[in-house]
Amino acid sequence: MPTLIRLEGGRAVIAARDPFAEAPLDGPLPDGPAVLMPLARFQQQGPALLDEGLRIGVLLQPEEAVEDLAYDLPRLSMVALNLPKFRDGRAYSTAALLRQRYAFKGEVRAVGEVLREQAHLLARVGVDAFVFADGTTPEQLEAKLSLYRHVYQAASDARPPAWAERRS
Amino acid sequence: MYRYDQIDRDIVADRCAEFRAQVARRLSGELSEDQFKPLRLMNGLYLQLHAYMLRIAIPYGSLNSAKLHRLAHVARTWDRGYGHFTTRTNLQLHWIRLKDAPDILDSLAEVGLHAIQTSGNTIRNITSDPYAGAVADEVDDPRVWTEALRQWSTVHPEFSYLPRKFKIAVTASARDRTAVRVYDIGLKLRRNRDGALGFGVLVGGGLGRTPILGQTIREHLPAQHLLSYVAAILRVYNRHGRRDNIHKARIKVLVQSLGAEEFGRQVEAEWRAMDHAAVDLPDDELARIRGAFGAPAFEARPARSAAFEAAKAADPAFARFARRNVVAHKQAGYALVNIALKTPGEVPGDCSADQMDAIAELAARFSFDEVRLTYAQNLVLPHVALDDVPAVHARLAEIGLATPNLDLASDIIACPGLDYCALANARAIPIAQQIAARFADPELAEDVGELKIKISGCINACGHHHVGHIGILGVDKRGEEFYQLTLGGEADGDAAGDRSRLGDLLGPALPYARVAEAVEAVVGAYRRARAPGERFVDTYARVGLQPFKEAVYADAHPA
Amino acid sequence: MKALTANRLDDGDVVFWCEGRWVRRFADAELFAESGPAEAAAALARAQPTVVVDPYLIDLEEADGVLVPVAFRERVRALGPTIHPDLGKQAEGGAVIRAMQAATGAARSAGRLGLIRKK
Ligand code: SF4
Repeated sequence: MPTLIRLEGGRAVIAARDPFAEAPLDGPLPDGPAVLMPLARFQQQGPALLDEGLRIGVLLQPEEAVEDLAYDLPRLSMVALNLPKFRDGRAYSTAALLRQRYAFKGEVRAVGEVLREQAHLLARVGVDAFVFADGTTPEQLEAKLSLYRHVYQAASDARPPAWAERRS
Repeated sequence: MYRYDQIDRDIVADRCAEFRAQVARRLSGELSEDQFKPLRLMNGLYLQLHAYMLRIAIPYGSLNSAKLHRLAHVARTWDRGYGHFTTRTNLQLHWIRLKDAPDILDSLAEVGLHAIQTSGNTIRNITSDPYAGAVADEVDDPRVWTEALRQWSTVHPEFSYLPRKFKIAVTASARDRTAVRVYDIGLKLRRNRDGALGFGVLVGGGLGRTPILGQTIREHLPAQHLLSYVAAILRVYNRHGRRDNIHKARIKVLVQSLGAEEFGRQVEAEWRAMDHAAVDLPDDELARIRGAFGAPAFEARPARSAAFEAAKAADPAFARFARRNVVAHKQAGYALVNIALKTPGEVPGDCSADQMDAIAELAARFSFDEVRLTYAQNLVLPHVALDDVPAVHARLAEIGLATPNLDLASDIIACPGLDYCALANARAIPIAQQIAARFADPELAEDVGELKIKISGCINACGHHHVGHIGILGVDKRGEEFYQLTLGGEADGDAAGDRSRLGDLLGPALPYARVAEAVEAVVGAYRRARAPGERFVDTYARVGLQPFKEAVYADAHPA
Repeated sequence: MKALTANRLDDGDVVFWCEGRWVRRFADAELFAESGPAEAAAALARAQPTVVVDPYLIDLEEADGVLVPVAFRERVRALGPTIHPDLGKQAEGGAVIRAMQAATGAARSAGRLGLIRKK
């Protein structure tokens, strides 16, 4: 079972249990109160399942457009962004759009080749849950996230950009 | 010179600490080479043929004496006592050890220098006009806007893992000194009819395997929206640029495949949907940046300097230097003094640590502590009193850097090529040296006139050969060094319009030993064909390839 | 004939394989007549990711009775920049250095494929 680390109130915390069971593209749904499914399956069954009260997370591949989810986002509990390679930067734009344009309040989870050295950037664009591929611990994640004392840009997090800090 | 505040210093220091930890993790084996390489690249560190190479950013080509002295110190302490200035206003040190890199970056950070995002699939060091703040025809100081971009793009959370490298140039003068059309984004600051400042926005320029000139997608972007608009371009590119093929991953391929119009439409749509206030700098921050540059305290001086005129009359070498390398300043009684790092026999763009120190001293004493770095791999002292030019010239002559060849045949752009570069097909530097030797006679060089020769050691085109009046590209033919010549390229523009164009292939590639004589033959054909007042490229545009083909291949055996 | 080369991780220096060790001078490199042992050495080298980066085999040919790298690129690596004879390994001189400096002609481009990735 891969470790899920969530950012909660500025702390990195290992989730005791991941409520989301992963559903494949088709076939029977796993049991449980919450399901993570690919976009294509969500587009077929998602709205009906949401009506039934199931909690749903959608797994987006880098080439999939977050716009396709826009209508249903308020009802989603989680969006997982797959980074098939850590160098594939598309998830960063997807996360930024989720938070900044669609004001998505649910969990944004990074899965795939998620490594410690990119974690601070992912956190800034709005990722608040990590399934690390390199065994990064909550302590190591926290250290990485606090490494830069200042940032030059506003992003999805609450950090003031340098120009705002300079005013105060 | 933009002066860092504590926030700027902290960000660079934190980056150094981050990279130090990453190097340690790599050396211990915790990070694999695959995981580490993008990290070292975004800190300017390449693995080249003989060692690591560190590419240090010189944002918008601006240096002061403290920084230049520090570069000299680093070159002496951790390298072999010299460095290579590039067309992209970076300094490359070619003999770096990975284990020293954290200490080097700490040393650079003490004076506000860094290597952040000088490589990797990031927004790279941003270039601007080396004459900024010193010439009359600029509509505003482009460095203010370039610095705003530098800060915004540094450790950008969304745009640090782009499909490919991303280069931005900013110019604010009708006369383009940045090659703005070969950039991923080219920004031309100008005033519209109402006098409002805005940017002409070009996208999709780039050389390499698929050379393309940038196209305008926005004629007049209100200047205060620079950052949000650039962010919109980057977002469209980051999402839709190709990632399946490294050769098709630049933004130019996306712009070509969508068409500039459709690409521009997508950018506009993205931009309109953005929260501009979250991205664009407020006026007070722009004013703060402007103030942090300071302004040289020019003295009231007569437009004509008796000392300068007397030196010209007395010394033909100085007169030639004044004619070629000294440029009119906006301030009466001052001039820009170009230092060509193109002494025939030397390596184009190379500068020894001792020369750096000497130039730093000249800058501190004679140029309000400023030195600039140019697209053509030269340096400029931007604010020298005319009265002081003879003294500056004398000192430059002592350090071997008074060659009066700006924009002439021996003022060659050359990439490191196969002497250093792991990607090279062929050497570039010795070719440049052989050509420069043939035009070392200043009389001859002046008679030939403006001639921009640009040499790349492979199709990556770091030497910008596509836009050379004479472009030279090293290719590999059965494992031997061969060279393709292109003619008629240009990356220039002025008030009369943009003249940028890509050169045309002259003919079959030539072996190493024949390149310099072929260039000489091309120049000979030009001198025979030219009409009075015509530059090489003008004659070429009028007469076409044929006379040059004949001159080069007339008695050649097929290569 | 072949030799095995790489750049050392911690300083980037060009190194050559010699019976389980890495040596700085091409003159000291182990020369492989058979591809089997050469490949075996390359596999051992690849298992040393904290010592070297990107080890690979290079082809050699005879020049003036001395075996030197076929590819011009490899000769430059084994020598140093051609424009600075005082820099790099060539500064040490010696018969093998001289042979490599003198070697010219058909250098098949060995192993340049995929280099853009290696950079
Ligand atoms: S053009 Fe090619 S050889 Fe020259 S520096 Fe660039 S990558 Fe290296």
